[in-house]
Amino acid sequence: MTITNYMKMKKSKVVMILALLFCGWTARAQETFPRNDVKDARAGLYAFTNATIVVDYQTSIQNATLLVKNGKVEQVGTNITVPKGYTSVDLKGKYIYPSLVDIYTNYGLSEVERVRGGGFGGVEQIESKTKGAYNANQAIRSHYNAADEFTMNSKVADEMRKLGFGAVMTVKQDGLARGTSSFVTLAERSDNNAMLKQKAAANYSLTKGSSTQNYPSSMMGYIAVLRQTYLDAEWFAGQNPRPFADQSLEAWIQSQKLPQIFDASTWMNILRADKIGDEFGVQYVIKGGGDEYKRINEIKATNANLIIPVNYPEAYDVEDPFDAERVSLAEMKHWELAPTNLAALEKAGINFSITTNGLKKLSDFIPNVRKAIENGLSETTALKALTSTPAQLLKVDDQVGSLKKGMLANFIVTSGKIFDEKTTFFQNWVQGQPFELKSMDTRDFSGNYNLTINGKSYNLEVSGEAGSHKSKIKVNDTTSIDVTGIFSNDLITLSFKPEKKNPESIRLSGWSDANGWKGKGQLGDGTWITWNSSRTADLAAKSPAKQNGGDKKEEVGKVIYPFVAHGTPSLPVAETMLIKNATVWTNEADGILPNTDILIKDGKILKIGKDLADPAAKVIDGTGKHLTAGIIDEHSHVGAASINDVASNSGMVRIGDNIDAEAINVYRALAGGVVAVQVLHGSANPIGGQSALIKLRWGESPENYKIQGADGFIKFALGENVKRTGNPASIRFPQTRMGVEQVFVDAFTNAREYEKKWSAYNSLPAKEKALALKPRRDLVDETMLEILNKKRFISCHSYVQSEINMLMKVAERFNFRINTFTHILEGYKVADKMAQHGVAASTFSDWWNYKWEVRYAIPYNAAIMHRAGVLTAINSDDAEMGRRLNQEAAKSVKYAGISEEDALKMVTLNPAKMLHLDNQMGSVKAGKSADVVLWTDHPLSVYAKAEKTIIDGKVYFDIEKDKQNNKDIEVDRARIIQKLKNAKKSGVPTQRGESRSQLDFHCDDVLGFEKTED
Amino acid sequence: MKNITLTLLIALFVLNAAWAQTPVPAKAQSKPIALTGAVAHLGNGQVIQNSIIAFDKGKLTLVLDATTSKVDLSRYEAINVAGKHVYPGFILPNSQIGLQEVSSVRAMNDYTERGELNPNIRALISYNTDTEYTASFRFNGVLLAEATPTGGLISGSSSVMEMEGWNWEDAAHTIDMGIHMNWPPMMRRQFDFNTFSFSESANKDYEKQVGELEQFFVEATAYGKLATKETNLKFEAMQGLFDGKKTLFIHANNPKEIVASVRFAQRIRVQRITLVEGLGAYHVAEFLKENKIPVILPATQNLPARADDDVDLPYKLPYLLSQAGVMVSISNDGALHGARNLGFYAGTAVAYGMDKEEALKTITSNTAKALGIDNRVGTLEVGKDATLFVSHGDALDYRGNVLTHAFISGKMVALPGNQQELYERYSKKYGQMK
Repeated sequence: MTITNYMKMKKSKVVMILALLFCGWTARAQETFPRNDVKDARAGLYAFTNATIVVDYQTSIQNATLLVKNGKVEQVGTNITVPKGYTSVDLKGKYIYPSLVDIYTNYGLSEVERVRGGGFGGVEQIESKTKGAYNANQAIRSHYNAADEFTMNSKVADEMRKLGFGAVMTVKQDGLARGTSSFVTLAERSDNNAMLKQKAAANYSLTKGSSTQNYPSSMMGYIAVLRQTYLDAEWFAGQNPRPFADQSLEAWIQSQKLPQIFDASTWMNILRADKIGDEFGVQYVIKGGGDEYKRINEIKATNANLIIPVNYPEAYDVEDPFDAERVSLAEMKHWELAPTNLAALEKAGINFSITTNGLKKLSDFIPNVRKAIENGLSETTALKALTSTPAQLLKVDDQVGSLKKGMLANFIVTSGKIFDEKTTFFQNWVQGQPFELKSMDTRDFSGNYNLTINGKSYNLEVSGEAGSHKSKIKVNDTTSIDVTGIFSNDLITLSFKPEKKNPESIRLSGWSDANGWKGKGQLGDGTWITWNSSRTADLAAKSPAKQNGGDKKEEVGKVIYPFVAHGTPSLPVAETMLIKNATVWTNEADGILPNTDILIKDGKILKIGKDLADPAAKVIDGTGKHLTAGIIDEHSHVGAASINDVASNSGMVRIGDNIDAEAINVYRALAGGVVAVQVLHGSANPIGGQSALIKLRWGESPENYKIQGADGFIKFALGENVKRTGNPASIRFPQTRMGVEQVFVDAFTNAREYEKKWSAYNSLPAKEKALALKPRRDLVDETMLEILNKKRFISCHSYVQSEINMLMKVAERFNFRINTFTHILEGYKVADKMAQHGVAASTFSDWWNYKWEVRYAIPYNAAIMHRAGVLTAINSDDAEMGRRLNQEAAKSVKYAGISEEDALKMVTLNPAKMLHLDNQMGSVKAGKSADVVLWTDHPLSVYAKAEKTIIDGKVYFDIEKDKQNNKDIEVDRARIIQKLKNAKKSGVPTQRGESRSQLDFHCDDVLGFEKTED
Repeated sequence: MKNITLTLLIALFVLNAAWAQTPVPAKAQSKPIALTGAVAHLGNGQVIQNSIIAFDKGKLTLVLDATTSKVDLSRYEAINVAGKHVYPGFILPNSQIGLQEVSSVRAMNDYTERGELNPNIRALISYNTDTEYTASFRFNGVLLAEATPTGGLISGSSSVMEMEGWNWEDAAHTIDMGIHMNWPPMMRRQFDFNTFSFSESANKDYEKQVGELEQFFVEATAYGKLATKETNLKFEAMQGLFDGKKTLFIHANNPKEIVASVRFAQRIRVQRITLVEGLGAYHVAEFLKENKIPVILPATQNLPARADDDVDLPYKLPYLLSQAGVMVSISNDGALHGARNLGFYAGTAVAYGMDKEEALKTITSNTAKALGIDNRVGTLEVGKDATLFVSHGDALDYRGNVLTHAFISGKMVALPGNQQELYERYSKKYGQMK
């Protein structure tokens, strides 16, 4: 239909009736509600004819009819006769789509109280503050039901309907267990009518929300609390009568049959959530963060259905090159690649639904989905992700998500295909209730007119879209006069100044007729005149698609692994390598071998000797260089997302649950020749969490960092940190070294009791066992029992001699041995006792005096312990020192004159022994894993640099590649900066250097607070 | 190496007998001393392979090449240090030496006074000669250190101290030689719990704080010109900045702050300006070179500030800056105990491009210039203080830094301290040392 035809089209009566309906709709209460008027029953009978009806994401019917009755779809299809008594709407040329569904909103719920801080200063809150018989942990809110609180919110509903949504899931985003969410429509009748499903899903997350209780305060703790709650719920369900009241556990048990939805918010958290689910036989639907493209294979392997936001980051303001330095490559790349995320998910065959969650401005939603489509997402999948998938995930696909007989009359009327930029959303019907978004009958007046005022003619041009016209008077080809105009369907106002120099303007008011307007007006001098205008021609056609800037698609950068500067598009592979003529520090009986070759194959050291050859091998000249076993750091915090929780006994938390595969300090450590580290829990508590033993496999997934088959370790700690010396207001037990001892004695005593309880239960005959009450599984007791049973080994943060002595006595009393004292700065005072106990020592080389308990630390400590027969290592606890541990080992030579060979062992073989890894690493020996470093110089010299750091026979750090890598970072940054500048020019909002930087953890760090050295 | 170290230690213990406190300060130089045969690193870039270094009454009297010069050493007590290395004492700038002992114990911290504008606050006054750090510094060749107050916009006045002395007057090398100013940051760092990371946002008070400084400096200048006035202790303390007697140490980090702060100081006619902590100096190296502003960098043994930085950026920063024509020295920005590694910080710069003798300057002569004390220390030159040490090997490398002698203004100072005493005590307990 041409514009002229459209303008000439007679306004249909139906449209007028509809317009009345939109404003006249009143909320009709359900039967049980009191009435304050006469009964106003309406059948809600509508017929929509001649439309293109998209009945579901893959089926559309041309020229079809939709019958609606009582808020439901009565019939849809072609060849339908409209029955009498139906209000008929002719939608020729228009589209009907099922309304969109968003299953992660907080529509109609109150805001979650934000807790400031969350650290560990002030008086600790050990117990939950939730009033009533609820869970012991304040972050377990499984008893919460959105249906108890839900209240329609016209303002939000209106915004959501404008985007095409008809129904949403609403969830209170508070707590680790968030209780049940409801599925509601965006209709505006009553809360009761809008609610389609009171308990639509049970919800979980990895943030503690409004909880003010100290524990948990780390990612590890969040996971541990959820795991313990699963165990508690299972146990609780089997206890009849219940041993105590816990409404949270009751609700948890009840809600297990619902869809289980986990808000994960980053790709790493998706993997963490999925792992919890795997342990307890739950497949979560997982809400991601929009960065899944960073690790699409691992995400795919979870088999989870996802809920994905489209909250792309705003462009960064990079005008000033100094300021631009604040924005990291990772941030820039995410800005660039975030719009490709949905396409990547589709390509990987991952089932997902799209949510508005996380958007700063709801109005960005459709444009952002469109961006995803421009970046390769198919329109079909986009529509599926907004209709049928979310409906299916909540098992409400019999009500919403498509338009079939008996389903809710939730649909939108549009001018064209839903994702086309030019498409207008006219109406959104929810449960048969119409909402007008934009009038369908706004007349388009664009064209050229002959305007006659008081006998004088002007050439008037009306341009722009219907509803937002612009107008001007064309004097000649280059000159024109601006006209202020208000164009409504019936009435028109125009004003302009006919002569530039004359401030007087002509003001006109009038009404439309068949071919233009006519009316009255006033000249500048106040004279009343009559005027009219008649349409003369259409506007000249514009040159098309000019604003798109051509069809050439902009190239986007590659995904790098890990997704941080110094990551690379591909991971290293195991090579056959022959390093020729190096000085090889074997750490074995052979000692230091000059002019020696070593052959690496299939990830192992194959041969060490002279004149080795392998035609398949890549030959590396080692002349003048030194080859050693890779450095192993017994005490490190690199590669963890959090390291400290706060319970006095935090034995239930596991560093391995929160490996951070994007930690830049991993790469920096590689550059210092480090191949493996024990990632230890911090020292906030006498009993800390379980360690992770990892190799620095930069670019791999978190799970692949872990050393498979390694023994389990755990952090213990003594002294100032655990008695909360840094916090004068602390009330947490223990506050003295005397209390610290009791924490240990208590923990091991309880573990023995726990063991007894379980063995009594397990030894019952089957029949009795079936009747007996099953004991509760306790993650802390289980961990303590592992220690007693020599399945888990202690690395204990320690400083002064009294406490060192104490812990050895406690262990001896419970018939086991401490594996390692770490830090152990006064170890030299009790080295004889340590040798007798058989404990290893892992110490700083020369740190002292940064707190009272290290007043007497000396740089001879390692040497004295070593000479007393204690297995001794030098550790870092610090990402800076951790990347030059070879130099720290050199200090024991400088100060105490130990042999250079022994010194190097203190950062290679000795820590390997402490970590029970010496069968596979720690020395250069045929058959061991090829975890070695080629140094440019004597490895104990300040002048030595790691030239190659090799793990499993793969070169993870290469000094030459690193130089290239530095250049690549600059090039990639420069490329994206140009794009960012263009984006800013195009007028999109930008953010100023809000740079983010990662934490460098030390033992003492609780959420980045109390940051002092160890 | 073991034998060298043990023998050395035993020898040193004999020299110093037993002590319970810090080692007894040495007596003033009573007779002329000549060190013969060592490789002398003069601190000005020159090396004498076979040297004669002699000093009397605390001052250097001879710095010669033994292979080309014949001198009569009969009046000197000659110490044969052939095969060893002689260095000017390392100088540690911008430290809390003597003002801090155990950092986590509040009672042992004496370096931050309340208030924003404190030029009258003097580090010298708090300086504790009985600090245990000095012995540990001397042991590795750090013989001079600047005691520096911190905090506020103007932290106070610093003094250069010798690592030896009975009291602060005795230990003072150069009193109140500088005033430290913390340029307000343009951006502020905050911890974000939602992302577990730090984020930076603009410092809204920046203009206000700069205004406060500007007014203070302008009024201090005007005060100096008044014929009669009511005494203002703060303004009195500022006067040395305008006549070149004192150095203004500007603590500024990012490139824009560096330019803004230096321009500020120049505008107000401060005569001597040194930039401290200038990690961002690389981007404005040209500016610093043109304006002849020395830079005191943080320790090389540091992590890069940004994930995108070259992993070795802190290591090579002294080299990059000196290549760009900026005079660089190195400080210790972490915990005070780490300052004894100053020599190794310079060694690290060598590993990443710097010439060894150039690197030595970053902890000797360049530092002396940056502190305004180069007329007396920083190089081995006749007439300068006899503040120097002898090391078995390369003092910038762990493998060589083993001191045999150290002299501060000619006084032969004790090298072992409490740490060595504890080493001896426990080594003997276990029969590891006779």
